[in-house]
Amino acid sequence: MKKILLSWLLVCGMGMSGVAYAQTDYPTLTQLNQRLQRIASNASAELTSLTKTDGDKDIWVLKIGTGQKDQKPALAVVGGVEGYEVLSVELAVQFAEKLVADHRKALESTTFYIFPNMSPDAYEQYHAALKYERRGNAVSVDHDRDGIPGGSGYTDLNGDGMITVMRVEDPMGDYLVSKEDERVLVKADRSKGEAGKYLLYKESKDDDKDGEFAEDLKEGIAFNKSLTYKFPVFEPLAGDMPVSQKESRAMLDYLFEQWNIFAFVTFSPANNLSSPLKYNAGNATKRVVTSILEKDQAINTLVSDLYKETVKQQSYLQDNQGTDGDFFQWAYFHFGRLSFSTPGYWVPEFKDATGKGKSNAEANFLAWADSLGMNDVFVPWTEVQHPDFLGKKVEVGGIKPFVMRTPTFEKVDEIAAQHTEFILKLAGMQPKLEIHNVKSESLGNGLSRVTLDLFNNSAIPTHSEMGEKSRWLRKIRIDMDATPDKIVSGNKIELVDSLGAYEKVSFSWIIRGSGNVTVKAGASHAGFTSTTLKL
Amino acid sequence: MKISKLVFALAVGAFSFVSYKAEAQEKFFRAIGTPHNPKVEIAFNRYYTYEGLVDNMKKIAAAHPNLAKLESIGKSYEGRDIMTLTITDFSTGKDTDKPGMWIDGNIHSNEIQGGEFSLYGAWYLTEMFADNEFVRQLLKDKTFYITPTINPDARNNFFLEPNTANSPRSGMMILDNDGDGEAGEDMMDDLDGDGHITMMIRKSPTGRYIKDPQDPRKLIMVGPDKRGEYEMLGQEGTDLDGDGRVNDDGIGYYDPNRDWGWNWQPDYIQRGALKYPFTLPENRSVMEFVMKHPNIAGAQSFHNSGGMILRGPGAEEDVNTYNRDDIRIYDAIAQRGEEMIPGYRYLTVYKDLYSVFGGELDWFYGVRGVFTYSNELMNSYLYFHKESQGRGQDEMFKVDELLTMGDAFVNWHEFDHPQFGTVEIGGFKKNFGRAHPGFLLEQDAHRNTAFTIYHAYHTPKLSVMDVKEEELGGGLKAITATIFNERLMPTHASQDLKYKIERPDYVTISGAKVVAGFVVEDEDFNKFTEQKVTPEKISVANIPGMTGVKVKWIVSSGSNYSIAVDSAKGGKASWKK
Repeated sequence: MKKILLSWLLVCGMGMSGVAYAQTDYPTLTQLNQRLQRIASNASAELTSLTKTDGDKDIWVLKIGTGQKDQKPALAVVGGVEGYEVLSVELAVQFAEKLVADHRKALESTTFYIFPNMSPDAYEQYHAALKYERRGNAVSVDHDRDGIPGGSGYTDLNGDGMITVMRVEDPMGDYLVSKEDERVLVKADRSKGEAGKYLLYKESKDDDKDGEFAEDLKEGIAFNKSLTYKFPVFEPLAGDMPVSQKESRAMLDYLFEQWNIFAFVTFSPANNLSSPLKYNAGNATKRVVTSILEKDQAINTLVSDLYKETVKQQSYLQDNQGTDGDFFQWAYFHFGRLSFSTPGYWVPEFKDATGKGKSNAEANFLAWADSLGMNDVFVPWTEVQHPDFLGKKVEVGGIKPFVMRTPTFEKVDEIAAQHTEFILKLAGMQPKLEIHNVKSESLGNGLSRVTLDLFNNSAIPTHSEMGEKSRWLRKIRIDMDATPDKIVSGNKIELVDSLGAYEKVSFSWIIRGSGNVTVKAGASHAGFTSTTLKL
Repeated sequence: MKISKLVFALAVGAFSFVSYKAEAQEKFFRAIGTPHNPKVEIAFNRYYTYEGLVDNMKKIAAAHPNLAKLESIGKSYEGRDIMTLTITDFSTGKDTDKPGMWIDGNIHSNEIQGGEFSLYGAWYLTEMFADNEFVRQLLKDKTFYITPTINPDARNNFFLEPNTANSPRSGMMILDNDGDGEAGEDMMDDLDGDGHITMMIRKSPTGRYIKDPQDPRKLIMVGPDKRGEYEMLGQEGTDLDGDGRVNDDGIGYYDPNRDWGWNWQPDYIQRGALKYPFTLPENRSVMEFVMKHPNIAGAQSFHNSGGMILRGPGAEEDVNTYNRDDIRIYDAIAQRGEEMIPGYRYLTVYKDLYSVFGGELDWFYGVRGVFTYSNELMNSYLYFHKESQGRGQDEMFKVDELLTMGDAFVNWHEFDHPQFGTVEIGGFKKNFGRAHPGFLLEQDAHRNTAFTIYHAYHTPKLSVMDVKEEELGGGLKAITATIFNERLMPTHASQDLKYKIERPDYVTISGAKVVAGFVVEDEDFNKFTEQKVTPEKISVANIPGMTGVKVKWIVSSGSNYSIAVDSAKGGKASWKK
């Protein structure tokens, strides 16, 4: 009896202390919601549903902080920017869990916004009966613009519950078997006289009989392809106009009300942490700016170094530094905040015993997986009957969905710990306004000259160079609280556009009378400081 | 019973006819080109508040139930209904089955007369329908969607609250313009309470101005070696937030015409842009309406001022969006417009005006492939039928002296200012300069309406013609048909074709068993493109203007067949054997 009770308590305790302990795979949306609710039970965390998607899923934001949350600089952490990146959601949620459990001290100086999952409709596909890497939400969209929405999506031809690829033997095909790994297909290099052997498509049928395959998917708009920066108008998954979806509008509406965010960390396929964005003078000086600005590149370099110090995995094939309409570039180019992105995980470079590597990413992945005995990452090529290729040999196979971008779940703890550490270090670099050299000198006849220096004691400026241009970051405002009739010279309100890293600016007033005056300085995203002095 | 009813009806009809005629002869005589004895009387020599516009729209819809329907397409920021009149001859088909013409006004709240011009169009079409064959045919073929104000909140603010001729321009959302963390803390102050924000001057020993001895309303600068009497203090107002600047954080500022979802850019690139396209509920309502009405093929947006017929692109970065085929059509329609509206010039926004990213006309064309103009209403040419000689203020004084008899100017009067001491307040009224004076309003409304009618007339008009049969033997025959478009505009602008914006046009044969179907590329040389799937419903990418496309079927049976064409922007037409 005692034993039974004990084990029951144990089970119960496990349930209460967190699903993470019992978890062996990435959580379902229900499990995620439970974890978010549990975080929200903490006094420093507020959980808000910004909207519901067309798939009836909540878009959550956690605001975590103490005291005057809106008066402290804030960092935003964003996951689920791509629905197929289940790791990104887990990293954002684990950051929130660790923050409230183990890093309460960080909340004294910083507020955190965590958007755990911007693509819940697409995220579900990981757990669905038919698994595939999905980007679009639940809205009905005519991607191939033939007048009929969702006319030609994927079909699970071999009935294995996942969408891989299909190859069709055809002398006019442009793919052939890789010399590095016979499971892998590569594009024939026709400039070297290579002939192709296969046509390659996503696993699908030509449902709308237009000769195209999987060109009009039964999924809607992709969050990470539908924001305003370089919006890829009319492309599949992007739609006719940017920010057309409930989730993107709700998030942006919310962000534009949070004046204290100074930086974003986004878990998404783009990576400007393994190496920083490159400044291009031509593109930075055009009217429509498409290069990181020069001073901001220096900050990116600094933060990238911090990342590489903290996150141990060596960079490999991290060449995505932004795609059209994505979130991470939007946060910088159109929202003026420092913006950092990392997938959090990638397949490491594999070299065999002789030190030889593979030139092809899939071949590299398979060699690496083989070396670890991972034998469930590939669907062997198997012939199927295909109604659109009668009389031709069609085989379904290829690398399984998710496996190339998603580590096995037991690896997540370490990745999450390292990324949590990185985010907290980045928060520690936030702009820090201090007042120094406060002086009150008597000029006689009841007049005093008050002088002080306002100093940004941080390696990063109060405003990114881009942020200085934006109306959506406030200026540094200095308020002298003496009544206007007492101020003989100097302004009651001063506005300063920006304070650079370790930069100071000096102020001076002449005030009539005696008693105390207070000077307050700051902006929501740079924090506030004040001093009171006796005249 | 039946007979008596008929007799009664005839009697009533005859009576009303007689009385109508009698009245007309006794009291007035028909003027050409204007609705005679309209059911709805509207004076077009004054301006209407939002409520005034809506009241007139309701009267039009009530008086012409078969021609006009009124609906709210959404709410403004302050919760007013955005009211749209749909005008077509509903007895000849649904509005959405005909090519549509979108007309709106007043996107900039101080650019008021777009409201009256749009209203004039609605009134003219509905009231002329009974008497004018052209209008009758037009409303049989086309639909007009008319929204006189797409900025109703700030339209009323312009009229009812103190303003200059240039404010508010935005809607009623209040933002932090000076970056101090507070929004709208230094609004304009109507110190003399006359509803107009004019100018302030002050007597000063160091001033460089005097009042012109020949016209004391005018301030003129004295010669370099002469002492002046007045200094200029700028706009009527006070520094409410104590930052040393007068009226520096008022309504707005943002620009509703930088809020549209084509080539949208943020505020640091395009001043006046908001958070993302269609941040504003007014614009969002229009966008959603247009997206739900794929039949809209032409659009007109009324602004002021300067006398311009503008086309896109708004920005040089978009030059390649507008290609030669479409520009030919833009040119053809707008050059007619220049003739119809004296003093107005046809210009391209980015090269003749200034850069606009996220403007309404680029959205209509870029996202919907709709041929769109913005007219900048009112032009000083209209005053004396002369180009002004670049002396705008002088001309305004002259107009006010000779034509408006001093009605346009607030004469200088003393005011005890809390910050500046004794000042004089005066200057031109907010409703002069950009807005038409009453006596010019109706004429220019008519001319601009005539231009939008010409524009709407040239949306596609399709017919099925020249159907020919050819016996092929073996029980087969070939049927060819020409789909003719007898107007300037194609069913798909080249922008539309480039991005497959709107679905293809469908040409369907029914009542015949179809073996094969083709689009005819070149009939003389037997060049055809076969459509293998659903050959009875041929997809045609485009039907160009003033010409046509040919389709061909091979059928194995069917002698009583019919052929129908169905185009999103080109409407519907059919032919029966």
